[in-house]
Order: sequence, then C-alpha cells, then structure tokens
Amino acid sequence: MTTGDNRLLDDLRDMWRLVDPPPPGLTATMIATVAAADLDDEWELLVLVRDSADEPAAQVRGLGTARMLYFNAAEGWSLEAEIDGDQVRGQLLDLDDLSGVEVTLETAAGESWTTGLDEVGFFSIQAEATGSIRFTVRRGQAVASSRWVEI
Amino acid sequence: MGTMVTMSEHRGAGGQLEESPWDKARGAFVAWRAGDATAVDDLVSAMTPVLWHVVRAYGHDRESAEDVIQATWLGFVRLHQTIEDPQAVASWLITSARRGAAAHARTARRAAPVEDETLASVLPDEVSAETVAVLDDEASRLWGAVTTLDERCRKLLRVIAFMDRPDYHSLSQDLDMPVGSIGPTRARCLAKVRTALTTGGER
Repeated sequence: MTTGDNRLLDDLRDMWRLVDPPPPGLTATMIATVAAADLDDEWELLVLVRDSADEPAAQVRGLGTARMLYFNAAEGWSLEAEIDGDQVRGQLLDLDDLSGVEVTLETAAGESWTTGLDEVGFFSIQAEATGSIRFTVRRGQAVASSRWVEI
Repeated sequence: MGTMVTMSEHRGAGGQLEESPWDKARGAFVAWRAGDATAVDDLVSAMTPVLWHVVRAYGHDRESAEDVIQATWLGFVRLHQTIEDPQAVASWLITSARRGAAAHARTARRAAPVEDETLASVLPDEVSAETVAVLDDEASRLWGAVTTLDERCRKLLRVIAFMDRPDYHSLSQDLDMPVGSIGPTRARCLAKVRTALTTGGER
C-alpha cells in the first residue's frame, strides 16, 4: 500500500461524505433504536429503591449522619450501602456467585474506588463520597450501574 | 447545502483532522464498558455515518440502507458482550453491516427476480444533480472519476475507504474475491481512478 494510494482513498472518503451524506435524522434514529432495544437486559441498571434521605429521621434507626441507599438489580439481587463520613460499607444480597465480584464507587468529579467482597457479600471502602456518586457492580462480563445519587 | 455542513464537521475549525470516528468509537465503547451508560450514544453517533457509507457501497437505496444499519445496531445490542477486544468495536460493526448489506441484497434479488438485471446494474437513488452541483472542484472531479468505474471497483473502494483497518480476509468472503486479489484489485481500481482523473480532466 503506497502513501499515494492512502491519500487517494482519504480523498475518496471525503468525496463520498460530501456526495452521499447520511440522512440528517439517521444518527438520532439509531440512538433511539439502541436505547429502546432494552439494553438493560444486558447492561443492567441498579435501581435506587430506598434512600434514607427520603425517610423521616426517626426511621433511620439511630444511624445519625449515615446515609443508607438500597438498590435493586432486575436480575433479583440487591446492593445496600451505608455512607458515613469517609466510610462506605455495604453488602450485595441474593447474589448466587460472589466470586470475582467487584464494587466500584465513583464520584461525578472523576474519583473512583473499587473493592471485592468478603465471603458473605460485604464490602468496605474508605472514600470521600461527596457530591454525586454512583455504584457499579461487575461480575465477569456483566456490569450493573446505578444512576448518579446526590450525597 | 447540508452536505457542506457535514464536511466542516469532519474537519476541525483550524482545518485539522479531528479524532477519527473509529478512534471515537473505541473510546466510547471502552467508557461504556467501564460503566458510563451514556457513552453508547457517542458510539452510535461516531459509527452510524461510517456504517451508512459501508452499506450504501452495496447499492442499497436509502430506505434499505437504514434498515440494514438498524439491524446492525440491534445485533450489537444483542451481541456486544462477544466483542472480546474493545479496540475492535469499529471493525466488528463494519463487518456486521457489510454482512447485513450483502444478505439484504441477496434477499432483494430473490424477492424481485424480474428486476434482477436492473437491481444489479443500477445504484438506486444514488446522487442527485443538486448535490453534484454544490461539490467543490476536487470532489466533483473525484466523483466523475468514480462514476467511470465498474460496480465492483466502486464498492471495494468505498468499503475500504470507510474501514478501520482493512481486513482482507473477511472482505474476500463478503465480496466473493480471493484474499490475495484484494490488494491488487484495490491498486487496480485506484489506478483507474487516477487515469479517469487525468483523462477526464474537468469533469
């Protein structure tokens, strides 16, 4: 392959982009197609089902400043997390195989912390979890993320 | 006019080349796998125009091309976990679109046997006169040269031009050519373009 051939191919590519561009709405249609194709089947979402910030303080069982978050995955397992200052503790429940599972805590500011689980599914992370945070659970190829939660 | 906008989006404001769609696709796919759920939109935005050109190279009209591209993305949703190397996501999508385009062409021929010859010889809905009229000199000379090529050359060059790293092995299967002949065929097709550019002159 010569440089001249490559340059001519580049020119041809630019020409085709001009001569026969995709219809204006094509990309938007395809984004909608992918979104509607229920990516959640494979790309699971951790859905926030309970948040101590939404509950009367008295029900938080004397946890004081701690923030409790409960997420459900569509597959049936769940993640509980307690955020207390720079300590984030939690547990994955109803997950059959805990081996190789990793939990990642991220802040919208770009910091992230990843840890494994102990034999009963507990994890503990020392992290400055402030601002917007989210959890991601990886099990081999399967990944489930929560939406961002304001702390 | 819209076509000119497409061009200026491709080049940066200072005339430099922006990150290629294939590189954007890799970055977006890696980010998506790392947990950024919105990155899949960037992947679709980067690759849909590329898939358009690959599919249109097979001579599909605009509607069929959209169908093939949509099927490609639905296949991606179903099978993305089988893409072992995230760096290969663009090639994976292009290969899938090429297969879809080739299969769609076969089905169309079967469905309309009477029009077989017409379908094989015409690039339907190709390019309007208005579009050609707004092309700059360079593009219109190139377009003129490309129209002198046979269908096989036109298809091969357009597909290769939009491939990330040309994979001659899978191309040979899809275009029904021996692997060893793709490089030489490509060179021959490009030589024909050059000849047409010099002899065709102003066209």
